[in-house]
Amino acid sequence: MIKENRIVLKNLGLIDPERIDDYISAGGYESFKKALRMEPDEIIDEIIESGLRGRGGAGFSTGLKERFTSEACLACENRYIICNADEGEPGTFKDRIIMENDPHMYLEGMMIAALAIQATRGYIYIRGEYYRSIERTQKALEDMRSRNILGDNILGTGMSFDIEIKRGAGSYLCGEELTLIESLEGKRGYPRIKPPFPAEKGLWGFPTLMNNVESFACIPPIISNGSMWYSSLGTKTSPGTKIFTISGPVRKPGFYEVELGVTLRGLIFDLAGGMVEGKKFKAAVLGGAAGTFVDESLLDEPLGFDEMKEKGATLGSGAIIVMDETMSIWEMLNSILRFFEHESCGKCIPCRIGSKHLLKLMQEVKNSKNGKGLLTGNLVAQAEIMARTSLCPLGQSHILPIRSAVQYFPEVK
Amino acid sequence: MDIHKIMSGYTPGMENILNILHDLQDAHPMNYLPEHTLREVARYLNTTLSSVYGVIGYYTMLSTKPRARHIIRVCQSPVCHLMGTNTVVEALRKHLGVGLNEPTPDGLFWVELSECTGTCEVAPAIMIDREIYGDLSENAIGNIISMIREKSGKVKKEAGH
Amino acid sequence: MGNQISIKIDGKSITTEEGRNLLQVARENGINIPGLCYHRKLTPTGACRLCLCKITDIRGMIASCTIRVKEGMEVIAFDEELEQTRKFLLDYLLSEHNEHYDASYEDEFRELKHRYQLDDPANRKFTPIWQDLGYPVDGTSPVLIYDASKCIKCFRCIKACDEVQGKNVLSFTNRGITSYIIAGFDKWNESECDGCGECIQLCPTGAIVEKPHREKIDLEKIDEKVTTTCPYCGVGCQLELFVSNGRIVRSNGAEGLPPNDGRLCVKGRFGYDFVHSPDRLTTPLIKRNGKFEEASWDEALDLVAGKFSQILDEHGSQALAGYSSAKATNEDNYLFQKFVRLVFGNNNVDYCTRLCHASTVVAMLKSIGDGAGSNSIEDYERADCILVTGNNMIDTHPVTATFAKRGRNRGGKIIVIDPKWTPLVRHADIWLQPRLGTDVALLNGMMHVIIREGLIDEDFISSRVEGGMDTFSQLKELTEKYTPEMAEEITSVPVGLIEEAAILFARSKKSLVATGMGLSQQVIGTNNVFSLLNMLLITGHLGKEGSGINPPRGQNNVQGASDVGTSPLTYPGYIPVGDDDNRRRIAELWGVPYESLSGETGLTTVEIVQAAHKGIIKGMYIMGENPMLTDPNLNHTEEAFRKLDFLVIQDIFQTDTTPYADVILPATSFAEKNGTVVNSDRRVLRVRKAVDPPGEARQDWEIILEIARRMGRNIGEYAGEAAIFDEIAMATPMMAGISHDRIEEKGIQWPCYTKDHPGTPTLFLEGFNTPSGKARIHPVEYIEQEEKPDNDYPFVLNSGRILYQYHTATMSRRNKSLNDFANEAYVLMHPDDAARHELTDRSRVRLVNRRGELETSLRISDEVARGELFMPFHFSESPVNKLTRDNLDPHSRIPPYKFSVCRVESLQYVSD
Repeated sequence: MIKENRIVLKNLGLIDPERIDDYISAGGYESFKKALRMEPDEIIDEIIESGLRGRGGAGFSTGLKERFTSEACLACENRYIICNADEGEPGTFKDRIIMENDPHMYLEGMMIAALAIQATRGYIYIRGEYYRSIERTQKALEDMRSRNILGDNILGTGMSFDIEIKRGAGSYLCGEELTLIESLEGKRGYPRIKPPFPAEKGLWGFPTLMNNVESFACIPPIISNGSMWYSSLGTKTSPGTKIFTISGPVRKPGFYEVELGVTLRGLIFDLAGGMVEGKKFKAAVLGGAAGTFVDESLLDEPLGFDEMKEKGATLGSGAIIVMDETMSIWEMLNSILRFFEHESCGKCIPCRIGSKHLLKLMQEVKNSKNGKGLLTGNLVAQAEIMARTSLCPLGQSHILPIRSAVQYFPEVK
Repeated sequence: MDIHKIMSGYTPGMENILNILHDLQDAHPMNYLPEHTLREVARYLNTTLSSVYGVIGYYTMLSTKPRARHIIRVCQSPVCHLMGTNTVVEALRKHLGVGLNEPTPDGLFWVELSECTGTCEVAPAIMIDREIYGDLSENAIGNIISMIREKSGKVKKEAGH
Repeated sequence: MGNQISIKIDGKSITTEEGRNLLQVARENGINIPGLCYHRKLTPTGACRLCLCKITDIRGMIASCTIRVKEGMEVIAFDEELEQTRKFLLDYLLSEHNEHYDASYEDEFRELKHRYQLDDPANRKFTPIWQDLGYPVDGTSPVLIYDASKCIKCFRCIKACDEVQGKNVLSFTNRGITSYIIAGFDKWNESECDGCGECIQLCPTGAIVEKPHREKIDLEKIDEKVTTTCPYCGVGCQLELFVSNGRIVRSNGAEGLPPNDGRLCVKGRFGYDFVHSPDRLTTPLIKRNGKFEEASWDEALDLVAGKFSQILDEHGSQALAGYSSAKATNEDNYLFQKFVRLVFGNNNVDYCTRLCHASTVVAMLKSIGDGAGSNSIEDYERADCILVTGNNMIDTHPVTATFAKRGRNRGGKIIVIDPKWTPLVRHADIWLQPRLGTDVALLNGMMHVIIREGLIDEDFISSRVEGGMDTFSQLKELTEKYTPEMAEEITSVPVGLIEEAAILFARSKKSLVATGMGLSQQVIGTNNVFSLLNMLLITGHLGKEGSGINPPRGQNNVQGASDVGTSPLTYPGYIPVGDDDNRRRIAELWGVPYESLSGETGLTTVEIVQAAHKGIIKGMYIMGENPMLTDPNLNHTEEAFRKLDFLVIQDIFQTDTTPYADVILPATSFAEKNGTVVNSDRRVLRVRKAVDPPGEARQDWEIILEIARRMGRNIGEYAGEAAIFDEIAMATPMMAGISHDRIEEKGIQWPCYTKDHPGTPTLFLEGFNTPSGKARIHPVEYIEQEEKPDNDYPFVLNSGRILYQYHTATMSRRNKSLNDFANEAYVLMHPDDAARHELTDRSRVRLVNRRGELETSLRISDEVARGELFMPFHFSESPVNKLTRDNLDPHSRIPPYKFSVCRVESLQYVSD
């Protein structure tokens, strides 16, 4: 029987998210005050040593990202910090839970990171559909200003810094970091050529640190309890806790913060209460649309970034979409590919046109009496070329669910 | 609605275009962005018409076509799809008498599909304006619609007095 | 120059500069990596993915257009996997693409299709899907058609518009596979698109094609592509004319050639219809009993020669004068001035420059010794700050403006000084809007601030200005009273803006001035430019790359015509007519006695008309000018022309002036000429014959020589235009090193003194062109206008040009495309004035003043200030010059086109 270990969500349900006093009473902004007394490099070292890996899905070291940003273009007059709150991966809603229930937690983390990289201004890019997250964050920022945690001469330290909210308006791709920057600049959401990475040339060409909401929210506990404490949680290569969001025909769908390294079985059957009456587990999609299908053979594998990669699966954003035996893998895969086709920006040929052809091929797979194997082989082959040739991660995503579906579920073949 | 008052809440830079367009659309009773408004936006932001129009064309939440007072967004992403998007669309068709992307005759509702609204724990879900309604059944949808109808009826009456 | 490095592509060693684009380097070295979205003029896009290659130390395949080369890089550009992948991507693209092709455009995609053996659908893996995608066609633009089904979404048009032309008119709409290009709100003709056609030129697939003459274009049947110089403004854009069946069917920007590197404006690209207009003069015409009748050349030339000779005999040489042409070549102009000086025996030769930049030139000659622009066009892109005064460059010199806008995109600043809003204001950091005619007060105010803030360049003043800091102190004293507050009172420009602009201009490392007609065409035009020069001198913004003063020339050869001596004041090379040594030198060159060359200054343009009015001038020879639309105070001009005994006009069309002629001689247009012109940055550029002249039309220079011959004077025998130029080079020291051969490919910027001199991109790097080598400061006071608005004439009228028409519109109005954009005269009035006078938009109005009246259509717009009006001068049905004055600037004899009082009366009917 596994249990939740709420670190990021420690205040959840215990405080009023619209009252900064509640947050402060619960020890809020103490980490920030501690960070104010630290050297920027010390903060970064602490985060690097904690082993924290980006919670948006890619799993890159959060601390190293900060280091790169802090060291890029020292002559630049601006250095930006952006919170990626454009949570659009189907099956994922962890950032919304944080923003709606305890906005100060991630804002405090963002403030600490801003200190660490000496940011001149911050932006939070929140997807337009997250009205409540926007309202709660807006209120939190106003309260921070009124408490002089944000604005000019913060807490008498001479630091001046402010954060603005930018709303997204309906685009999955804008969650991709360079595309998000384009969108933030007021353009159509087309991905930029990478490199340069945002750390080097981000918003308006200046060094920019971008982290996910959950990643920022991990920072205050790390600063207050130390990197040693944090790295003792979870697994060796994936330390800390992670919020998983479980959806589909389980008894208690929702969000669960657990130490990394727990098993899928523990999450689905212990925490989420198992399958609803009379249904049998068939599959789970891990990491959302840009994720992978797994079958019950992976139920007992530890959930960590590298552990999953070894199995050809992905941890991604922490989405776990559960499917029962009445549900069709083809239907799910088709829905995922339809989603990608809808979200493809159209900039590069392979993703723009391939997304369409894959959907077409899916119809042929469905209608074919025999020769399915050939068609799915074609599906994999096309998606592989797309993955190799596409400009941005979107066109490289189709292959993940396709390959894993074909790998684990003979019905697709 | 005072276009200029809304715009002046933001400095005239392109980085504010989405915030401005959201506010202008929300302020329009038909939830859309008419051409004359967009001309003013382009002027305010010192940019060209196509850079405004092109931005709108990219983002699915923004519309240059008149819609209705209330926008119903039906999530069609994988989780909701699995849990019954089609059922929801059918139920809405039954209760509203319209399909996708058309206003109800009274101009009160407009139904459109949307991608994941991040409320998968209550799939299938819909979003009406700013509110999420989840774990939907045909009955539940009927109740939600009548509740909103009733509310807007009241608003109308009050406004009539 | 970056570091030289070595890389290897497919085993081939290549030496190049570090940091260059890999795809570009590969292609330059004959390694033809395919690609559709890359273009050398644009930032890389990485959209088509066809240029994928493999590079050591980089995993997988990577788009070579996105890679900068570095030392030791080893690249695989071609192997089986890469080629298969490219073929796969092309196959994908074909399924999205309408392959219909009409041979009127270069189709890069079609070539690749062939290269990868995908012509035959049987070789393709994917079936077409484009028919179901609902791709629209937008044919609403007057000049182009966009067909989304042929579009491969490569971004080249968008970037052409944005990065190359600085217009940003295009975007995509929708997203993914249904996205397509839009202008405006998805309707091209209601967008800001001004029709320059850069997108057409850079489109790789014919998704955007031009409208005019498409039915005549079959690239297989193009007889010739002729590179020549654009006939319109003074930028000197290099065109590539496509000739088919003796007609021009397309005009492209010539890629890779300065000054424009393929860029054009709407006139350069679509303004060539006039060449083949049925209105062209094709035979000499002689007026008999008040009517023109066709005549033979012999008849006409004999009549002209006879009449000129008769006037010479009866009234002496002072009774004749000539107007030469800024539209004609250097060769034509040189022979025209030679004709006037030798055959008429006086210096009464002038042309339109007197009406545009005469004051600028006078001031510049006095201050710094040269009247031409001091910088290269590229400097507009390199400068840190550009001050644009009285210069609506987006409309009048659109390609120069592209350099300025590109500079701004790189972080340069733009300050606009203009009483009227111009499109450049959109790109400006600061716009100062002074009242008409108050420039000196504004500039003195700015200098006051510069001095007050200690932003003068003392080193520069001490070392490069005559009298050094002593002279400066006179200017300081004079500007002391021009506090920003006082300047605001006179000009109505707020103090804060004056200060901001002054400080920005002075502080910037490289500041450049682009001045225009707004400053020059005033009674105090010369003072205006003196003031501007003073400001440049005290801030040290002259004689450096990226810093200087540039008056862009209005016509394609205004610069050259002056350079080669078409002036009553100077011989070729700006040598004063009074310079005896020079006259001796020229006399020898021309093989005439020194005494036969008059040392007396001749009459200027407006003075010639005034002399005609007084009966002093009896006969005139006009080559390619239209004074009955361009001269000020037209009613007076008309009387003068009526008084002439004999008027010969040599032109390509009937004009507003030809009705007053006795003989009309049909000449050739730019497309039928060989020769040279000089553009605004002193580049001597080739003009080349593309088509034959219509009917019996003849070369201007041949007509001139023939008239001389029939008057019994041989003024030279020339094998052709190159030979004439060789004589020009001998007569004109600053062009001595230039010949047609040397500028076969690219133009050379004068001064170029010897055959091995490379030309001079920036003037005054070493010293100024004055006897002392130093510049002179000329402190000037603000003088109020004599003509003031009053109760009878409450408005001040300004005049100028628009993008789509050109000068007196004899050429431009004979182009359907240009007329589709703008073909109506109008007057602009501020909305408050219109409300006060109860006038409505588009209503007919009459403008009246002491000198005349005209009718036109009213346009209400806040582009003009209250109390001020603006009218374009192109339209003969509403000739603004009926209202302008012929009071001249005392220094330069330029008339004040920019300032005439008038009143506006409502006419009780509404125009269409």
